[in-house]
Amino acid sequence: MGVAVLLKQVPDTTAKISISGDRVDEASITKWSISPYDEYALENAIKLKESGFGDVVAITCGPSRSAKCLTEAAAVGADRLIHIISESPLDSIQVQSLLSAAVKESGCEVVMCGKQAADTNSGSTGPGLATTLGFSCVGGVTEVSIEGGNASATRLGPSGLEQVEVAVPCVFTFDKGDSELRRPNVRGIMMAKKKPVDVFSAEDLGVDVGDSMVEIKSHSSPPEKKPGQKFVGSDSIPEVVSKLREEANVI
Amino acid sequence: MAYEALDFYDIDSLLTEEERMVRDMVRDWVEDRVLPNIEDACRDGVFPDEWRVEIGEMGILGAPLEGYGCPGLSYIAYGLICQELERGDSGVRSFASVQGSLAMYPIWDFGSEEQKEKYLPGMAKGELVGCFGLTEPDYGSNPGDMITRAEDKGDHFLLNGAKMWITNGTIADLAVVWAKLEGEIRGFIVEKGDQGFSAPEMKGKHSLKASVTSELVFQDCKIPKDRILPDVKGLRGPFSCLNNARYGISWGAVGAAQSCFNSAREYALSRIQFGHPIASFQLVQNKLSWMLREITKGQLLAYHIGKKKGDGSWIPEQISLAKMNNVDMALEIARMSRDIHGANGILDEYPVMRHMANLESVKTYEGTHDIHNLIIGRHITGIQSFTREP
Repeated sequence: MGVAVLLKQVPDTTAKISISGDRVDEASITKWSISPYDEYALENAIKLKESGFGDVVAITCGPSRSAKCLTEAAAVGADRLIHIISESPLDSIQVQSLLSAAVKESGCEVVMCGKQAADTNSGSTGPGLATTLGFSCVGGVTEVSIEGGNASATRLGPSGLEQVEVAVPCVFTFDKGDSELRRPNVRGIMMAKKKPVDVFSAEDLGVDVGDSMVEIKSHSSPPEKKPGQKFVGSDSIPEVVSKLREEANVI
Repeated sequence: MAYEALDFYDIDSLLTEEERMVRDMVRDWVEDRVLPNIEDACRDGVFPDEWRVEIGEMGILGAPLEGYGCPGLSYIAYGLICQELERGDSGVRSFASVQGSLAMYPIWDFGSEEQKEKYLPGMAKGELVGCFGLTEPDYGSNPGDMITRAEDKGDHFLLNGAKMWITNGTIADLAVVWAKLEGEIRGFIVEKGDQGFSAPEMKGKHSLKASVTSELVFQDCKIPKDRILPDVKGLRGPFSCLNNARYGISWGAVGAAQSCFNSAREYALSRIQFGHPIASFQLVQNKLSWMLREITKGQLLAYHIGKKKGDGSWIPEQISLAKMNNVDMALEIARMSRDIHGANGILDEYPVMRHMANLESVKTYEGTHDIHNLIIGRHITGIQSFTREP
C-alpha cells in the first residue's frame, strides 16, 4: 500500500504571465512551482507515511522541466518518482488516462491531488481519475487519515467541518487547510538528487491518448481592473451609501 | 510584489540543481520567518531562539564541512546560504558564519577525533551554539599581540584574559578561544559553565541589533587538558577560520545589496514627483544602473572565488579582495538606496537603513576594509605595511 500524489507544475503564483500572439508565452515564465493545492495533498501524504501508511509515490505528467516537481517532492519525503513525459499540451481526459495508468502501475489505492490546478483551474483531474479507475472520490478535503481499509476525510461543508468516512480505493482532492507543505532540509535535498525517476511515455504505459477533444482558440489577458474610488470626509457618506446600495448592491 | 533577486549576468544558470534548491529553501525561510520579524528582533535587541532551531532544522550550519553530521555542501551552496540569510539581515548571516566557519570549522580541521564527535553533530543541528574568541579590547587588527594566556597546570589549563566583540558569545554553549600557551597561539574549547568563564552581553549597538555580541572573560578559568585543539599552532589557526568566514561574507554582502537594490527599484517606480515616477529621472536611473553594475561585479567575484575555494586553488589575498570589495559596494548601495527612498528611507518599513547600519559592522569585522587593502598591498609590492619593523 502507498499513496500516489499527483503533482502539476504550474507557473509560480508570483510569476508574470504574458501573452505572445494569442498564447501564453511559456518561455517568459521564469519560475515554475508545484501547484499549491497539490502541495497540500503532498503534505498529507507524507504525514500518512509518517503514521505508518506505506510509501509516497509522486507522479507528474508534463514536459521535461516538470521533473523539478518530483525532485522537490523527494526532498520533503516522496519515496518513488514517476514522470510521464509529454512535451505537447494534452486535454484533461488525455491527462487523466495517462495518470490513471501510472497510478495502476504504482499499485496505489489511495490517490491524492489538488482540487484544481493553479493555472487551468478546471478541477477535473481528481474526479476524472476516480471515474477511470473505478475509485471513490472525495473532493475539497483538508485532511485524510486512514485506518485499515477505511479513510476518514475532513472538509469544509456549508455549516462547518464535515467528516467523511470512505472505503479505499479512493481519490482525495485537497483544498487549502492548516498545514502547508513542509520546508525541505539539506539532507532531504541531497537525497533527492540521488533518487531515480521512472520516466514513462504514453506508449510505455500502454495508453493511446488519441486526438484531443479540446481546442484552445486563444489566450488573452484579463481586462484591467477599474481604478478604485476615493471618498474623503463625512460629507461623502450619502454618496458612499448610495453607491454601495445602487452600484455595488451590497446594502 | 514577489522578491526577484538581481541576477543580471544569470549566475543562476551556473548553479547545480542542488545549489538552487538549497538557495530557494533558505530564501523561503528568510521570507517567511525573518522578514516579518526582523524589525521587532532589532528593536528588542535579540536573536530569536526559534531562528536558531529552524536554521538547525534546515541543516545548513557548517555547510561545506563533511562528516560528523555536517552537510557536505559545495562552497557555492555555502555562499548562497550566506547571500540569502544576509538579504534578510547581516545579524542572521553572522550567526551562521560564526557557528559554521569560526566555531565548527576549527574543531573539524584542527580538533581531535573525540572533540569532533563530541561537538560537531550537535552544532550542525544548531543544538549547540559556538562562538569564536580572537579579538581583544586592545587587539583587533593585530591579534598576534593578544594578551589572553593559557598555562599548563599539569592536569588542566588555566586561562586568563578577555575577548571582545564576540558574536553569539552569551548564547554559546562553547567558545573556541585563541590564547598564548608558552608564547604560542593555540586554540582551546571553553564550555559554558566552566569555572572562571563568563560571557556578558555588549549592549547599545546601532548595528547588528538582532545579533548577540559579547565579551568573553576568563578569570583563572580552569579547563580540562583534552580541550586544546591539537593540530594547529600560531595565527594559521584563527586565520584559516577567518578565510572561510570572509568568503561567506563576500556572498552575504551581495544579498544585502540585492535587498537594497530591490527596495530602491520598487520605490523609484512607485514614487511620483513632478508628475512622474522618480525612476524616470536620469539621476535616479544613473544610481540604479551603478548599483546593478557593482552588484553584478560582486556576484562574479563571489562566484569565482567560490569555485576556487571548491577546488583549493585560492590564495587568501583573493578572499580579502572579495570580502573588501563586496562589503564596500554593499554599504555604498545601502546609502544610495536610502537616498533614493528620500525621507522614507529612514523608516523601518524599508530594509535599507537597517542594512546600512549593519554593513558598517561588516565592513569592520573579519578584517577591516583597510587591513584587507594592506593585505593586497603586501601581495602587490612584497612589502608589509602593518608594522614598523622591516
